[in-house]
Amino acid sequence: MNRAKVLAIIEKEIADARKNKMIVISMALLPTLLVVMVLGTAFFMLNSSAGLDEGDMGIIPPELRDMEPMHAFLMMMNDQYLFYFLLIPMMMPVYIAAYSIIGEKETKSLEPLLAAPISTWELLVGKSLAAALPAVMLTWFSFIGLIIGGYFIMPQPVFLAMIRPVWILGMALLSPLLALLSVFSGVIVSSRMNDPRAAQQVTGIFVVPIIAFSLVVLAGKVFLSVPMVLLAAAIVLVLDCLVLYFAVKLFQRETILTRWK
Amino acid sequence: MIRTEGLSKRFGDNLAVSGLDLHVARGEVFAFLGPNGAGKTTTVRLLAALVAPTAGRAWVNGYETGQDDKNVRRSLGILTEAPGLYERLNAVQNLTLYARLYEVEDVASQIEKYLRLLGLWSRRDEAVGGFSKGMKQRLAIARALLHEPPLLFLDEPTAALDPEAARRVRDFIGEVKGEGRTIFLCTHNLDEADRLADRVGVIKQKLIQVDSPANLRRSLYGRRVVIQLGSVTQPVRVAVSELSFVKDVQQIDNTLTISLDNPEEQNPVLVERIVAAGGAVQFVHELHHSLEDVYFSLIEESEQEKGP
Repeated sequence: MNRAKVLAIIEKEIADARKNKMIVISMALLPTLLVVMVLGTAFFMLNSSAGLDEGDMGIIPPELRDMEPMHAFLMMMNDQYLFYFLLIPMMMPVYIAAYSIIGEKETKSLEPLLAAPISTWELLVGKSLAAALPAVMLTWFSFIGLIIGGYFIMPQPVFLAMIRPVWILGMALLSPLLALLSVFSGVIVSSRMNDPRAAQQVTGIFVVPIIAFSLVVLAGKVFLSVPMVLLAAAIVLVLDCLVLYFAVKLFQRETILTRWK
Repeated sequence: MIRTEGLSKRFGDNLAVSGLDLHVARGEVFAFLGPNGAGKTTTVRLLAALVAPTAGRAWVNGYETGQDDKNVRRSLGILTEAPGLYERLNAVQNLTLYARLYEVEDVASQIEKYLRLLGLWSRRDEAVGGFSKGMKQRLAIARALLHEPPLLFLDEPTAALDPEAARRVRDFIGEVKGEGRTIFLCTHNLDEADRLADRVGVIKQKLIQVDSPANLRRSLYGRRVVIQLGSVTQPVRVAVSELSFVKDVQQIDNTLTISLDNPEEQNPVLVERIVAAGGAVQFVHELHHSLEDVYFSLIEESEQEKGP
């Protein structure tokens, strides 16, 4: 694989996306709202006169039962928000990835690109990284913003729980791996369908497993641990490799050029 | 430079290209003519290793398509039917991507060279979306030439351009031809093909005929001389018809159209006889059939061969 060619694709994709104001605004909106939501919820809960009731106490997992109830509840909620942060790198690039091949076909820029001496691997890796990188960077920046805001708003035990290894590992490992899984899947859909809206709809389903797992955490059934995150990262890494392999195998230059109208 | 043997492409039930045997030499401008759906673009895609043949083989710049596609692609430049530019990016950004994909050594100077040659240097920082059709087409030509390919495929380079933009593009193709590059030109513009091409190939799924425009005219219509006289008298008619080398004579008013094999040698004798017979010769010129006449004759012949 020629890294210079991959880099050329990445730089072009990012330059092109930056010129599209709607993409820039929509990409910045989700992480900003999420940070505000997490900090705002904590702020209002801590300053509300109403305390926790028996029902709330019932869903706190056994690992947190020794803590002050409000702190334990906030920690459990924050752990669920971690999943929402993992949704950022999954949701944001998927639309860009879904449009990456179909968009080029629509603007008729795909044929000269495919006529250039670039391999399918180089093209797809370049396009996938270009979609994933901004999303991962935004996820990390918003997480840093959350930590800074949490330092001022959250009680100390809750704040310390936010920067425990589970979170750091989750952000450092899982967010790029999930972003790649999302974009590789998006590229597959993009290269097999000929309508960008349909591709975006189909790629939307990839976030469902993450949301489902976050609900399990919110229900107090699971308390996140480092081995759990490492195991998840390993599973996603394997999935990334498999999905990328299939993305390359399923990418048929001839079909894309001749069957799509 | 380009060689094909029985090259065929079928899409389902549709036979796009059938048994194409073609040879295009280095430095030649080859115009590929044919109606819509005749297989011109499919042939270009086959030769550019964008689609695989159903049967037959093709070699481009010494590399066989399907065997060495990366080198095939590296060794040619292609202007596709639509310019296919990134409209939000500026001219330099568009060219930079391709310069890097084609591993051009001095990216900045190559970009400057072609933007200047094509009159786009002063607009280099503007988003391509604001360019006119002619400017976009010129930028797409610059993109095809950045890596200095010895072979250039131009698919409808002047289609949908206004006359001024089309002329500018045509002039530039003429300049590129002067540099000794091989040009494979797909066009519906027969006048353009006539002016630029060393040889033309007429295709309708199968290759109907390949030759230089002059030879095609000659083989279809022979050579004819038009002589305008003050008046065509009986002695003039007799004098002309008595000449053994005259193959056919047609008269319209005071003009005689005479079929000859070798006008360069036979015209002086012909004119001398007419004058001796009392004819007042006003004008003599060779009758030129347009490439359009040739094209339609060939397409019509092919239709008749195919039958109803």
